[in-house]
Amino acid sequence: MSQESKWEPKLLGFLCKWCSYAGADLAGTSRKKYPANIRIVKIPCSGRIDPLFVAKALRMGFDGVLVSGCHPGDCHYQTGNYRARRRIAITKRLMEYMGIEPERLQASWVSASEGDKWAQVVTEVTKGVKEVGPNRLFDDDGHRKEAAGQS
Amino acid sequence: MTDTEKKLQDKAKELLEQGKVEHIIGYAAGSLKFTTTPLITKDKDDARQLVINPFIVNNLSVFLNDIKGKIGIVAKPCDARSIVSLLQDQQVARENLVILGLPCQGLIDLRKVERLTGKDRDDIDDITRNGDKVTVTTGGKTQKFAAKEVIFDDCLSCETPTPPEYDFLFGEPSSATDKELGRKNIKELEAMSPQQRWDFWKQEFSRCIRCYACRQVCPACFCTRCFIEETEPQWLSPLPRWQDNLLFQTTRMLHVAGRCTDCGECERVCPVNIPLRSISKKVEEIVDELFQYKAGMDKNAERFMTAYEPSEAEDLMR
Amino acid sequence: MKKIKKSDLNKLLSQWQQKYSVFAPSNHGVVKMTAWDGKDTTFLDWYRNTVVPPKNNFLPGMEKMFDIKKDAGYKLEVTADDTKQLIFGVRPCDARALALIDVNFKDGYEDTYYLNRRKNGLLVGLGCTSPCASCFCTSLNIHPAESQDVDVMFNDIGEELLIAEVTDKGKELLAASSGLSDATAADEAKAKEAKEATFKKVTRKINTGEIKERLMPSFENEEYWKNVAAKCVSCGICTFLCPTCYCFDINDEQSKGEAARFRNWDCCSFAVYTKMPMENPREEKWRRVRQKVNHKYNFFPMIYEQIACTGCGRCIRQCPVNWDITQVLSTLPEKAKA
Repeated sequence: MSQESKWEPKLLGFLCKWCSYAGADLAGTSRKKYPANIRIVKIPCSGRIDPLFVAKALRMGFDGVLVSGCHPGDCHYQTGNYRARRRIAITKRLMEYMGIEPERLQASWVSASEGDKWAQVVTEVTKGVKEVGPNRLFDDDGHRKEAAGQS
Repeated sequence: MTDTEKKLQDKAKELLEQGKVEHIIGYAAGSLKFTTTPLITKDKDDARQLVINPFIVNNLSVFLNDIKGKIGIVAKPCDARSIVSLLQDQQVARENLVILGLPCQGLIDLRKVERLTGKDRDDIDDITRNGDKVTVTTGGKTQKFAAKEVIFDDCLSCETPTPPEYDFLFGEPSSATDKELGRKNIKELEAMSPQQRWDFWKQEFSRCIRCYACRQVCPACFCTRCFIEETEPQWLSPLPRWQDNLLFQTTRMLHVAGRCTDCGECERVCPVNIPLRSISKKVEEIVDELFQYKAGMDKNAERFMTAYEPSEAEDLMR
Repeated sequence: MKKIKKSDLNKLLSQWQQKYSVFAPSNHGVVKMTAWDGKDTTFLDWYRNTVVPPKNNFLPGMEKMFDIKKDAGYKLEVTADDTKQLIFGVRPCDARALALIDVNFKDGYEDTYYLNRRKNGLLVGLGCTSPCASCFCTSLNIHPAESQDVDVMFNDIGEELLIAEVTDKGKELLAASSGLSDATAADEAKAKEAKEATFKKVTRKINTGEIKERLMPSFENEEYWKNVAAKCVSCGICTFLCPTCYCFDINDEQSKGEAARFRNWDCCSFAVYTKMPMENPREEKWRRVRQKVNHKYNFFPMIYEQIACTGCGRCIRQCPVNWDITQVLSTLPEKAKA
């Protein structure tokens, strides 16, 4: 139990290099405080997101995935973020159907000037995933049931 | 031979003779009872082997990528939808196709017949369909079933008894669908708790042997190299562990979202009986519910994966 | 010869379970040999053959070969599986298939993983009574109800099962088993009759003599192979479910402070077969189909003087497109000149 309460979620973020990645940079240079739970992968556009990335992240043991891109209408490639949104929407719904907590996949629009928003998004997402609990989906030995009982 | 079969054979022969097509893809009688086999031929004399019966299960559009030149293809409604989807994805050109459409009243699922009769398919002497009734004869004894009891789940859910795209049509449309019955398995899963669903899928996918038949028979899976075979990076393990089996399949299903036409081939061919259509059908429903899109209905429609409405699905975005 | 009442089979299997890991046919989603649950023998009523062949018990779909752990000083620890498996209900075709796989794994290099399992394993055969329409074992000199490739052979004689010892291992097993009674001459006559009846039920035939004469001369007939390959979808069903196919792939995995090597089934129908060491020399589908047929009926016999097929018919019955090897073998176009 004491181990469990110390648990901190590990998050993987896929950030569009034209907006959210710069937004996260801005949060850093503006010395905004937000949880250190997230690791960031820079992608050329949120449209690069593939359900496979989410599958791989969860398989590797990440507790949650955050995809962040440009606000509607602001995509550097016109429509990449819209395409990402469709993919994320169906992925979340299918996750739920398979029995995976859909909260483990989160998405946001964060522009290059929104350092504040980035800090807020990461704070919220970290909190949300913490409530869901550790990712024990792929354990062979039923640890997940114990974890579910504890949360 | 029925009249409709005769008409189909004559048309196929004529198309080959007149050089309107170089190849015909259709169904011929199989080497086992209650089976058919794809007939892929250039020979006009082979046209007389073409059959139409309740066992023409294969989705023949999967062969379109393989074959060069003009093709005459026999297509049931779900296959025709796959063709439309391939047209949308520019995998084939409409002018290279002559679609010999078959209206469909649902195909007979041998596994269901086996379950209902308690007999192996080898021990069944005859299965005949007459409208809404299917008669199964075993050792001189006959049993009658409602068609709804023995046709595939995907046929029960079918919304297109007539192909959405064709050049010639052979036969009259009729259908014995029952949407509720067609999504019975999905309903059962939806009623479970998330943990129960996960445990269910974990158990099902622990049987997977990674033969990739589900992918190979899927017309929507036309990638020349599948993500599962990538080694740098290796996305998911090629080893048949339930974890990777499950993720492979869910990812594949998401990749074909908006292109899957619920033809049910993946589930039919699975040698270890994983209920794959319970995933593919669900994805189809999600796509329809969230984005009002049905795969393979209109060749001029924008593809699901590239289409968008600026304001859609905003509720999930932070 | 011994015999046992069918209703007492569970007692016999329970005895064996004291010493061995007993496997028997089950149908949890798919028919295959799984760890016996300690009571159920109803498979006697419905079992024809498994979908997943018993090769899975000796050459599993995936297995760990060795571990390397940082904590253990990076020492390589070879995985040793010393499970004493007793597989009940092996069909004669599948027993022969294992004997064929043995040949491959003994030739030149001895594969300890497979051979260990074989050495520790016992095969208890069960003669067929209702072969499938896809079966053609008799054309390959295999009797559907008799086998010399098992340790002990069971045959259905109505209410009872007739038991014959085949190997020394089988003899020992039976000597240590209680609850068996002696078979009478009448029992043996009954078994003989039943076996003959079963033999006649295998109606699918191939002509191996003709095939031998035609296969090599037909090898270069590209047109023919393209034709027969056209409907193949290049999935792995026929090879993975084939009781004699033994190709495998090797995969390494590493995580923090440890690594392991695994092997898993591979399939010559896959476009990515042997892609890892170099390239697949058979990029086109028709070459892969040609290879599959020739490996079983031409190349393997060239080296080992046996056809690497036992006529179990799985590849026909389970094929998504009804690609039927017996049809292909009966339509080979060329024949060697006399």
